Amino acid sequence: MLALLAGLAHADDAQHLTFAQLVDAMRANNEITNAMRSLSGKEVEIQGFIIPAGPPDLSFFLLSRVSALGNYCCEVPTGQDETVYVATARGVTITYDPLRVYKVRGVFEAGKHVDATYGVSMYRLRNAKVEVATGAKIFRVGETPAR
Amino acid sequence: MTVLTVALRYLRARPLPTVLTIVSVALGVTLAVATLTLARGVRQGFLEGTTDYNLVVGAKASPTQLVLNVVFRMDTATPNISYWTFRHLADDPRVDIAIPVAMGDAFQGFRYVATTSEYFAAQPWRRRTFALAAGRFARDDPAEQPTFEALVGADAARATGLRLGDRFYEGEEMAEFPLTVVGILQPTGSSDDRTIFMSLGSFWATNEVARKMQVKPLTAVLVRAKRMSDLPALHRALNVSAETQAVFPSAVLLEIFNLLRVAEDVLAMILAVVGIVVLVYLLVSMYGATLARTREIATMRALGASRATIVTMVLIEAGLIALAGGVLGILGGHAVAYAGARALALRGAIVAHPLAIGWLQPVVLATVVGLGALAGLLPAVLAYRTEVGEHLAPTS
Repeated sequence: MLALLAGLAHADDAQHLTFAQLVDAMRANNEITNAMRSLSGKEVEIQGFIIPAGPPDLSFFLLSRVSALGNYCCEVPTGQDETVYVATARGVTITYDPLRVYKVRGVFEAGKHVDATYGVSMYRLRNAKVEVATGAKIFRVGETPAR
Repeated sequence: MTVLTVALRYLRARPLPTVLTIVSVALGVTLAVATLTLARGVRQGFLEGTTDYNLVVGAKASPTQLVLNVVFRMDTATPNISYWTFRHLADDPRVDIAIPVAMGDAFQGFRYVATTSEYFAAQPWRRRTFALAAGRFARDDPAEQPTFEALVGADAARATGLRLGDRFYEGEEMAEFPLTVVGILQPTGSSDDRTIFMSLGSFWATNEVARKMQVKPLTAVLVRAKRMSDLPALHRALNVSAETQAVFPSAVLLEIFNLLRVAEDVLAMILAVVGIVVLVYLLVSMYGATLARTREIATMRALGASRATIVTMVLIEAGLIALAGGVLGILGGHAVAYAGARALALRGAIVAHPLAIGWLQPVVLATVVGLGALAGLLPAVLAYRTEVGEHLAPTS
């Protein structure tokens, strides 16, 4: 039981990152800040849309701030600074929906990396687990989002 | 004489009910194994047969139709796009490789696909390599000097009987331009096995409309980006254009898998009902058999057999029936799956590994034997409660 509780506590220890933080961490010369690099090798959770640019078993996909559905009517597509290359652990069991936000947790890597199959990337998540992001805050009448 | 020997002798002593019960279990297992194998095989066939290109670019149409036609050689072709679409993509600095593809008619049901030799080139990111079983690849001939050479996929060559040097055509409009087989591909485990390839130059020359066109038509362009992160921007640019659409093939397949999952859930419910029916039949059969031999059981008890021995014997009988039915069902299930895979292949679908041995067989067998023993539990309790004095009393 103690081991389970310790495991749960560990699971909650994952650093939560946003795409805004990823953008802020990238400099004009494609260098990444030391603060962001220091997260490499640590477990990180990022929420975003899945772009299935790899095989259909989702062993690899792009995680983006913007959905790839339709013609991107509301948002222009993201670039290198807002795209995370995700390699998943075995057995992704999600039902893919291009309009849903997914919670992706895995071992984070920041910095330029060239892969023979997927080319150059700046941000990566390895051994990642994917689940639908639920529990988004609903603001009732009179409530305002905290800034 | 062991309990197992007694159980076997008893089953042999009543062959018809035993065989009927085994057959009913086998039919249920056959249905389950065939369904699971085919459902998994169809999904695996799509996974293994899909393309390594990131985007399929074609005319405005259904994305599913575009991917099914261009990647899996199913469905009808989408409308044409201009050759300039290919040229623009090939010149785009974000694009690593762009391959033009034109989908043609068919020879004995095997689709003609016109493309360039780059389609067959080895790349570090490709899971498949194209190797020749015989001959050579078709030449990239210019539109004004078509050679009408054909490169035949492994399944197409086997099914049509085409060999090196054969000249062939189907339909009157092709009679003027028979193709010559210059190469036969080794199997790739994809829809390319069911394809007859030719050069774009030869394809345009055989096509009356394309012959007169200044800018030649294509069905699609297969695109591989240098950087994956450039794909969303490429995807958008091609989709906002009035003439083209770009599709992530994996996105289409994932949508198809979502639909398959619904069908699989329905099948799982049907299989659960079938399983319950078979289980009830086994229970009724064993219960009836036990009722019919209460006198025999009482005799065995009188001769020294313990209650535990009697219970074990009834459970072994049920387990043996389930085991025989399970083994026959697994064999039958794979035979049905194999036949189904062949039938679906004729309609263009790839069902992967219908005879594969893996975790399914031991899991199914263990489940069937376990459920069989469970079905034998009630008759076993009945046998356990059989009173010697009551059933050996003389009948008047």
